[in-house]
Amino acid sequence: MEPVASVVGIGALPVGKYVDVLEHEMLAQALVQAVTDAGLSKEDIDALVFALPRPYCEQRYFGTFMAGYLDMPVDDILLEVLGNGMTGGLAFDLAVDRVASGKAKVAVALGVNREMHVPTGEHMHLSMRAVGDVDFHVPFGVTPIAWYALNATRYMHEYGLTREQLASIPVKNRRHAMLNPLAQMRKEISIQDVLDARQIVRPLGLLDVPPRSDGAVAIVVARPDIARSLGRHVDVVSRGFYHEGIHQVSSRPTDLTTFESARIASGKAYEGAGITASDLDFAEVYAPCSIVELILTESIGLFPRGTGGEAAAAGESSIGGRVPVSPSGGLASRGHPPHVTPLYNVYEAVEQLRGEAGDRQVVGAGIGAVTAELGDYNATLMHILSRPENRA
Amino acid sequence: MPTEQLAYPPRMTEFTAPFWDGLREGRLSTTQCTSCAEISFPPKPLCPGCWSSDVTWIDLRGTGTLRSYTEVSAAPSMFAHEVPYTLCLVDLDEGVRCLSRVRNAWDELVPDARVEVVFREAEPAYLFEFVLFADPSTSTSEEQELP
Repeated sequence: MEPVASVVGIGALPVGKYVDVLEHEMLAQALVQAVTDAGLSKEDIDALVFALPRPYCEQRYFGTFMAGYLDMPVDDILLEVLGNGMTGGLAFDLAVDRVASGKAKVAVALGVNREMHVPTGEHMHLSMRAVGDVDFHVPFGVTPIAWYALNATRYMHEYGLTREQLASIPVKNRRHAMLNPLAQMRKEISIQDVLDARQIVRPLGLLDVPPRSDGAVAIVVARPDIARSLGRHVDVVSRGFYHEGIHQVSSRPTDLTTFESARIASGKAYEGAGITASDLDFAEVYAPCSIVELILTESIGLFPRGTGGEAAAAGESSIGGRVPVSPSGGLASRGHPPHVTPLYNVYEAVEQLRGEAGDRQVVGAGIGAVTAELGDYNATLMHILSRPENRA
Repeated sequence: MPTEQLAYPPRMTEFTAPFWDGLREGRLSTTQCTSCAEISFPPKPLCPGCWSSDVTWIDLRGTGTLRSYTEVSAAPSMFAHEVPYTLCLVDLDEGVRCLSRVRNAWDELVPDARVEVVFREAEPAYLFEFVLFADPSTSTSEEQELP
């Protein structure tokens, strides 16, 4: 389990609503926080990999604008990446790769997602054009969250999952979020609250799905030898990616109760790290809905197929349980600024592995996984992070 | 009653016109590869399986299995006046999956139920939707078509 790169600094704004502030003001704050946390200065940074902001961002060419705003010459590369909900994950992946390939000594993956100033109905108008085929699916009124509900109906039918079992996932994640100062939704909820919440895409209700959110994150990645000279750091030891060649609605009948891309990508990541799923101390996953977390935990091998709901209801995925999932509170409670959500996942994993997660610390956290996805988990990107002291 | 105007109409091109024209005539159609026999849905000017451009139009039977469904209560602003509506995934008997709406009430639905196509009269295009098979021995798409 040799490190390919190390995370040396993290910075993030609490997830929430940012109205009277500009995108670059938000991101500058996260970036300075991360670089300071690393004990580095702007001259040390060779690469800036931005998650592309939402289309609502007034400033275009945001990456170069940002470098100008902060007076930052950059040696290796500066670019903005986009890949649906995987956007922030791709930024992290590329920053890691610039370092791992020797092209950069220090690379920063960063991004800001601001969309709360746009009304929800209008926002959905834009987002539904990302769902399926604009000519053959969108005219029916399909919404981004609807395809996960299609997973849920099918899963409940095949495995007899109860609505109460499924509700245990949002309840668990809210408990985690209550311990996270970065989380947007921190008021305790009960199983009954989840069941009574208004329907959004039946069988999923308001508390099964993520809120809309703004946020900004920066993650500083450095060569392992530089990281070791800086003091505390967390290593990136492997990654796995797979895309199924499907854009949400497959024209070939596929299984709706498992995520094939997650099974394959996680397998590659585990193999690269020389571990199995059972070696993970926690998983900080990209799971917009309760059902997505359930299916994902099975697909990446944490629980056998058909048992994820039962396991969550029994507390196995809670902090203190066998394998805590989404210790940050997850997308529905920490909040979901889509283009940077995967960077918040990395932020949480680093805090956990440094042992700095406060009241939500997973005891003995030594190896963790983060995921990002696009589509109906048609693609999965997983990184394995580890605390070096934890390895022999 | 005035004709329904679609909230989000599809774009119709020279290539896709046979599909949209077919819906007006009560036919659900798509393309099939003449080289490898793979059926596409939606229709495509090349075969996604073998990338051959040698494709031909075929009529689908319009019958299939209700794989899954969801009732949408929170919709984009342009669909807000249509909620609640139920989206579905149907695996057609020819072996392709499509996304559509199912008209039956939520409580009547069960996964794996047999369904058949009905046509939604609207402009600038008709759409195809599904209903539960009323009587598998007699029903046809014409008989199921709603006014």
